[in-house]
Amino acid sequence: MSGENENTMDNTSPQESPDGAEPTGLDSVEKVPVVSEPVAVTRKRPESKSNSVSMEEEEEKAPEKKDPEPSEPKSPSGWGSWGNWGKSLISTASATVATVGHGISTAIEKAESTLGVPSPVELSFRSNVEPTEDANASDSPAVPGGESSSPMAGALGFLSSISTAVQSTGKTVLTGGLDALEFIGKKTMDVIAEGDPGFKKTKGLMNRNSTLSQVLREAKEREEQRVGSAAETQTHGKAHYGLLFDEHQGLAHLEALELLSKESEAKVKSILSAQPGEKVVELKTELEPLKETFSLEEFDDDDEVEKGDEDFSQEIASLFASLQITVRPDKLTRARKAAYIWMTEVEAKGMEENAEEPETETSGKKKKATVEEIHDLAIHSLAELTACSMELFHKSATLILHGETQVPAVSRGKALSQMTITLCKELSLLSKKVTTLLTTTGALEKSDVLNPLITGVFLEASNSASYIQDAFQLLLPVLEISHIQSQT
Amino acid sequence: MAYAYLFKYIIIGDTGVGKSCLLLQFTDKRFQPVHDLTIGVEFGARMITIDGKQIKLQIWDTAGQESFRSITRSYYRGAAGALLVYDITRRDTFNHLTTWLEDARQHSNSNMVIMLIANKSDLESRREVKKEEGEAFAREHGLVFMETSAKTASNVEEAFINTAKEIYEKIQEGVFDINNETPIPWIPSELQWRPVTARSSDLRQLQTGDSCEANGIKIGPQHSTPGSPGSHLGGQQAGGGCC
Repeated sequence: MSGENENTMDNTSPQESPDGAEPTGLDSVEKVPVVSEPVAVTRKRPESKSNSVSMEEEEEKAPEKKDPEPSEPKSPSGWGSWGNWGKSLISTASATVATVGHGISTAIEKAESTLGVPSPVELSFRSNVEPTEDANASDSPAVPGGESSSPMAGALGFLSSISTAVQSTGKTVLTGGLDALEFIGKKTMDVIAEGDPGFKKTKGLMNRNSTLSQVLREAKEREEQRVGSAAETQTHGKAHYGLLFDEHQGLAHLEALELLSKESEAKVKSILSAQPGEKVVELKTELEPLKETFSLEEFDDDDEVEKGDEDFSQEIASLFASLQITVRPDKLTRARKAAYIWMTEVEAKGMEENAEEPETETSGKKKKATVEEIHDLAIHSLAELTACSMELFHKSATLILHGETQVPAVSRGKALSQMTITLCKELSLLSKKVTTLLTTTGALEKSDVLNPLITGVFLEASNSASYIQDAFQLLLPVLEISHIQSQT
Repeated sequence: MAYAYLFKYIIIGDTGVGKSCLLLQFTDKRFQPVHDLTIGVEFGARMITIDGKQIKLQIWDTAGQESFRSITRSYYRGAAGALLVYDITRRDTFNHLTTWLEDARQHSNSNMVIMLIANKSDLESRREVKKEEGEAFAREHGLVFMETSAKTASNVEEAFINTAKEIYEKIQEGVFDINNETPIPWIPSELQWRPVTARSSDLRQLQTGDSCEANGIKIGPQHSTPGSPGSHLGGQQAGGGCC
């Protein structure tokens, strides 16, 4: 089944109508087994019949995933066939947020099959079969109590459930090892950041059945459930991205931004429909350059030099200054600073430990941060930075609509687009830095402890990047209405 | 952290009547005499218990300034409760109640519970609006009335919690149709209607989506093991100030 979905996604290049690719609720329901399966595995519940069916299908379809897609007009240079799964990932991610998790899991599957790494589904399946009798229940039609393992629940699956599934695979070691994981992480980041022409993407966002914040809220709620049900079995992974994101009011800001975006979109439509034909053409031509600023095509994955605190703050501050709104990005820069402070501390402690007594790992652990702690701090920082980004975009929308100073909408679009890129790069850098820390700190750890943590950080970082980009797309109608209103 | 329901609240009223202070008192139990002007909306959240059920209040604290009026109107959507606040020491804030009420009624669900809050009750010496006037206004418009002081915390808890109780009662009575008017396309028609107290977990999952948006009530996730280690992060927590 996943193969089918994926093909649909592949065919939907950004140039085509987004309606075709738009998943109805039904689609998401159909996707369930793919996403929910790892969730069920995490909880060590017997799998339902549909899950095992999808798994077989998945294996059957696996070879297809490697096929390059010649129809894609361009692929990022230097990555060869990677560009193809990348493209499909991005159209998946942008067609609807509901499929973000799925898109990434597809990408991971693809990446792993390309690399000869077993898919998370296979991995979790294998590891599940070995230790527990329960896993054999996959053939039995009995579905447990039903609440949390409901297929619906997994429909809009959250990345972290996937990552936890990966974490919980326990025994199985990814054959590709660290390099493969790092590669996947980097490419997931890069590829997600590519984007497609903003207008289509926004249209896709606007037309779908549920809004991004709803999707996230549901995902968070399921995560809360999972925290509960998995509490006894999970020993690590205390940090839950969705919960932390909500705690920093990321969801609320996103929901508010969505309300403003929808309202603006409705206004644009009603204004356009009230105009005579010529005027509509004229307005649409005027809005074209604005839409172009939302395409994020200039994203360049080579330019990833670590910035100092000052550089980052200054860059964000100057971008905000060019918006000419009275909002200060202080909270974001503080959160970013805090992230670098803990990373530096962890790094310093690690070095001290190594210098003093390299052998006594057990006694050293008391002072030195454990890999789990680093992972949790990283997830927290990612969630906080993303929530702050949501707040900034929401405040920007508010103040642009408030109509403080008149700055051309296109200039604001450019600044916001640049800000999106800066934020995504920052998250990418942060995740790289964290994984470096994890590898050095966990040099003595077994790879089945370390790898899932690293994957988790990469996955939540790409998760974050897609939320930021989706929030950015919500700003287009806001700028459109502000442009139209400034003309009249 | 686990909750049975999530209620969206919205706080409205003229600028300077103490909306943000009421929120801060409720979420953080502290008073801040000088507050920045709210830009658009700020957020706070807190968990309360009603009838043995955990309910999460997600509170939208809107800007009172006239210039933000058209923006804050967008935020009414999906609210289950509203606190309409005026300042007992400024009669004009009381006089504007009708406009606020019209706005609220026009842009929100008709079942939204509205609580009329007469704030700054600690400033008795500067009182311009008598308690009886507030009560009369509330009676006339079918609102619940309460005098509060965000400074002394008097009646603040009660204001938020009584509103939640009222919403909860409406849910029990079936007035608040959690199911909403829009049918959920992928649910078989025989399952489309169900009592709001239904605990069918599969449906609850779905109910958290579109179906509940219009009346501001979301049903929380079920928890097989409440009080899990991860839950210490939750509880009381307010949305920070603006950036």
